[in-house]
Amino acid sequence: MAVDWQLAAFLALSVLEVGGSILVVTAKKLVHAVFWLAMTLVTIGGIYLVLQAEFVFLIQILVYAGAVPVLFLFGIMLTRRKIMEEVTPGEVPETPAEPPKEGFA
Amino acid sequence: MSGALVSPDLFTLCKTLITGIMKIQADAILAGAPVGSPVEPLRGVAYFLMEDWFLTFNAWMIAITIMVTWAAAIQLLTMMWIERKFYSRLQDRYGIMISIWSLPFWPFSWWAKRKNKPTHRGLGYLQNVADGVKLLQKENITPANADSAMFHTAPVLIASSTVMIFAALPFSEGFVIANMPMSLLFILAAFSLAPLGILIAGWASNNKYTLIGGMRAAAQLMAYEIPLLLAVVALLMYTGSLNVIDIVHQQERLLTMAGPIPIPAWNVFSIPQFIGFAVFLVAIMAEMERIPFDIPEAEAELVEGWLTEYSGMRFGLVFGFKWLRALAGSALVVILYLGGWSGPVFATLTPSVGGTVIPIPIIPHEVWFLLKVYLLFLLFVWVSWSVPRVRIDQILNIGWKRLIPLSLLAILLAAYFVALGPALGGIR
Repeated sequence: MAVDWQLAAFLALSVLEVGGSILVVTAKKLVHAVFWLAMTLVTIGGIYLVLQAEFVFLIQILVYAGAVPVLFLFGIMLTRRKIMEEVTPGEVPETPAEPPKEGFA
Repeated sequence: MSGALVSPDLFTLCKTLITGIMKIQADAILAGAPVGSPVEPLRGVAYFLMEDWFLTFNAWMIAITIMVTWAAAIQLLTMMWIERKFYSRLQDRYGIMISIWSLPFWPFSWWAKRKNKPTHRGLGYLQNVADGVKLLQKENITPANADSAMFHTAPVLIASSTVMIFAALPFSEGFVIANMPMSLLFILAAFSLAPLGILIAGWASNNKYTLIGGMRAAAQLMAYEIPLLLAVVALLMYTGSLNVIDIVHQQERLLTMAGPIPIPAWNVFSIPQFIGFAVFLVAIMAEMERIPFDIPEAEAELVEGWLTEYSGMRFGLVFGFKWLRALAGSALVVILYLGGWSGPVFATLTPSVGGTVIPIPIIPHEVWFLLKVYLLFLLFVWVSWSVPRVRIDQILNIGWKRLIPLSLLAILLAAYFVALGPALGGIR
């Protein structure tokens, strides 16, 4: 029983990569999308490793996976985020607060 | 150049060990199940045990286990012990004193009582174990509005990327899991993965302190990665190799004699590399988030920085990983600039046949290496607990305006000395 381990690794990595890249565009929260993007980039690096291009793999990790935190920072700072959101004066909050009760019984 | 304890390498040793163990078992099975007996099918198990892929797989597993236990358990505890004991001494107090005699059960309590040993006046090595046990017993609390999945993923990312460093980090020529041609790049790449986990941890906790801590950590770690890598580029001009073991081997020759004292050709003893060494030291200190640069978790401003909301063993994981990074960073400085595991030779053996001088390992390589790592870490601790914390703007100024130009100067000088090396009469 000869198993083509290289093919198996390629298939596993590409499933992760395709899944991750779909999740990048479908994720509701931007920060989640950035996280999946990091996974996609690392798995692309893994495919480089399967192709025996170690240098490209390491540079992929060092450059792309290293740059994802910057994207993360911009994602947090330049967009509105649901988590940790403060209601600024003059802005309508997305979930209206409960109407105050009509006095105490 | 004394010898190494682990030779030729960790994997070969493990393979020999596991082959021996499996051969004994297979022989026992073959003897117990002779051909023709009712348990004859058991012979298949014996053949399975002796298959090469099975032995190789087991040898890798044992090698990885040994390395992780050695680095992530023994060395982590030792580094924490060194730091806590040393800064207590700097602050003129005893520090941690839980030792083996403090254990409240037989035979330790019995022996301590019999010998009149004071139970909580030891050297304190077991204090960190006690703290770990305490953290294991605590509840793992997830904050109410936290992003639960990412909150629980972040410690895994941080811890796994830190343990990944030790796949390529050697403790001697043999004591390494994978001796890759580009292991230095691998170590640096694994080192640079942690900011993502830190930022995720800071964001997912849903807390202002953690978010600010995560932002600061990202800004600081990204800024200090650049001078770190540029200093390494200046070093690579001299070494021409990305393999850490090759880099250490290049430093094992004699540079000059200062009177009776031989000066080894460590990379730090050259003009451009000394600048690179200074830059690397400061940058790695910032990468470890040690105190002059521990702005991501400045206790006076942000409660505990990006790990405020973690509790239980997850806190222990993200808290302890800093010492693992400190170990990896100190080891990296020692390997790149301070000669790695090369040490003085105290005795040699010249065989009558052949005539090559064989060094006798009175003090093996691993011990030299750990000695250097611990001394360097003591220097880090000393600086940490002596100087005040710098502000976030000062951190970025030091990184971008001082360290990066200095590291570029180191590259320039290194290129100059490499190009004009022979013409300058061997000035490094």
